[in-house]
Amino acid sequence: MSYYLVQSLNALSFSVLLLLTGLGLALVLNLMNFINLAHGSFFLLGGYVAIQWLASGAPWWLAFPAAFLLTAVIGLVLDRLAFARFYARPHLMQVLLTYGLSVVFADLMRWGFSADTLSPALPAILRGGVWIAGLPFPSYRLFLIGIGLLLALTLWYALDKTLWGAALRACVIDRDIVETLGLNARKIFSAGMALAAGLAGLGGALGAGMLSAYPGLDEEVLILALLVVVTGGLDNFKGTVACAVLLGFVTTFSRVWWPEFANFITLAIMAGVLVAYPDGLVTRGGRKA
Amino acid sequence: MLAGGAASLALGMPMPARARDTPIKIALITSLSGPFASLGESMRAGLSLYMEEIGHQMGGRPVKLLVEDDQGKPDEAVRKVRKLLSQDKADVLCGVISAAAALAIRDIVADAQALTFISNASANALAREAASPYIFRPTKTSWMLGHTSALWAYEHLAKQGGMTLASDYAAGREYIGDFKTTYTERGGQLDRQVWTPLGTSDFAPIIMNIAAANPAFVYAFLPGSDAVRFLQQMRDYQLHGKVRIMGPGALLDQEDVLPAAGDAGLGGLNTFHQSPDAPSSAAFAQAYKKSRNRLPGEASTSGYATGQVIKAGLDAVNGDVSRKADIKTRLLDGAVETAFGPMQFDPRNNQAVLDIYVNEVRANDDGVPLNTVIHTYKGIRDPGPSA
Repeated sequence: MSYYLVQSLNALSFSVLLLLTGLGLALVLNLMNFINLAHGSFFLLGGYVAIQWLASGAPWWLAFPAAFLLTAVIGLVLDRLAFARFYARPHLMQVLLTYGLSVVFADLMRWGFSADTLSPALPAILRGGVWIAGLPFPSYRLFLIGIGLLLALTLWYALDKTLWGAALRACVIDRDIVETLGLNARKIFSAGMALAAGLAGLGGALGAGMLSAYPGLDEEVLILALLVVVTGGLDNFKGTVACAVLLGFVTTFSRVWWPEFANFITLAIMAGVLVAYPDGLVTRGGRKA
Repeated sequence: MLAGGAASLALGMPMPARARDTPIKIALITSLSGPFASLGESMRAGLSLYMEEIGHQMGGRPVKLLVEDDQGKPDEAVRKVRKLLSQDKADVLCGVISAAAALAIRDIVADAQALTFISNASANALAREAASPYIFRPTKTSWMLGHTSALWAYEHLAKQGGMTLASDYAAGREYIGDFKTTYTERGGQLDRQVWTPLGTSDFAPIIMNIAAANPAFVYAFLPGSDAVRFLQQMRDYQLHGKVRIMGPGALLDQEDVLPAAGDAGLGGLNTFHQSPDAPSSAAFAQAYKKSRNRLPGEASTSGYATGQVIKAGLDAVNGDVSRKADIKTRLLDGAVETAFGPMQFDPRNNQAVLDIYVNEVRANDDGVPLNTVIHTYKGIRDPGPSA
């Protein structure tokens, strides 16, 4: 019994990790209808920033806000320099732009942070473990589960329930009407992009404790994030959360029982979900963006 | 130039005086991007360090190093090798991290009879059906590591109750297969064998199963970041020190894995042809530490040792790279002293016969996890074409 309890906690922590990879992408793709293939780069950069911060000896808990802020600033700069001109363009153009940027970022990061695998020097408080029903469980994963759920709740509330979230969604659906109402759509998009980049960086900072950071992680994360966000349903945030949980449990328990087929089983189930629900796991119904 | 001409006259060499001043072109094919980028950079650093030490001179001629990035992809390696042979007119080829890339370029270099040194790729086939008269392997085969691990595990760890865990791709299948064959031939019995996809991000579900099975040891092969995650997650789940981990050296590579894994690597065992702690490696380890501020792992030592082997060959012919048969004779006749240890080539397949170290990761005087040699299997020779 306790074995399955701990395996379920494992699944939950992996779900949160998947959610963290998908947070920023969910925002740009779901709400801003912008395909950002440089999302993985923000994630990896956030991881590197946190690792450098933790190695520097500064207060450890500031590593996460630092990663958020730095990637958010880069997101803002990119928005001003390039993205702003592409929000209204076809998806294919956005893919070209952001994929190109991701290749540039990958090279820059390899140059700046070396090609080695780096792991964060976590503080003692997060490094230990606790015993749950006689089985060990790492404290860091409990921390991750807590933070992840908090982030998901905050985002869901901010995006689905507040006027700011509504304004952001409205900008995508009908920019002209939003501007007629006296809102500056340009600034709302910039803020959205900065927030998305920051969230990706924060995800990377938190995820580095489980994944480490190395060249190539950006691509791996991008694929996971696309899987979570697209299968979850492209017009709301709840779907992303639901899909992260489903994917986390499916992957974990396929690793428990048939580790060699873990990838196959996971992808087959995700493909099945898409066939059964082509609009995603959770849809708003009625409204089409 | 006059002196060079006189020397070649005195030795009765067919080489014209002017040729002695044109550099020998040695091409390093390595991975500077893609999944093996970190290994590839270390390999380049190892070979560059050696070139500096010898003043870029082999066999009395200047040497020019050409470096090409294969991105860890077989098709890219093929493209780069074609370019190096036809356009750059490289005299000697060396390097190659990935086994798939090494197998992909095999036919091209074999057909061109290009002098080639495969520095890192461990695929058994290159010492067996894919061996070729001018392809040398100054490195291990998967069998040499899997086999010696099995000998050690059977004698010193347990005769039954062990399990295996490996990334599910060609190298993992080879290491585990060779380990299992030798281990069961001796009379050992293995329990479960677990395969996991390359790039597994979360080992927790598997680690819980290891905890539940409580095996006598785990023989594991996971490369690079997978190894780092596995070792750290074993520690996070309080299994570190309770379950003995053993693997081929890549699992606990001094440069690629241990710096990131940190204390989680302590106590791990591996069989490897490389250890920064081995006497043959001491001078190189010191020089490497000075230049890159880190201890060498396999890839950097491969680069360095490949340089040593090529120099031994070229010195024997006074830098006349056209005398391939004489270079081969030199390498087959006597052992070359390298940073791996004495390296003798097997005349059947040009595969290096090497001392294999059993390393245990222990904290050194500075508290840094170090692959410490606890035993040496002398002169391990791949079964070669007979296997």
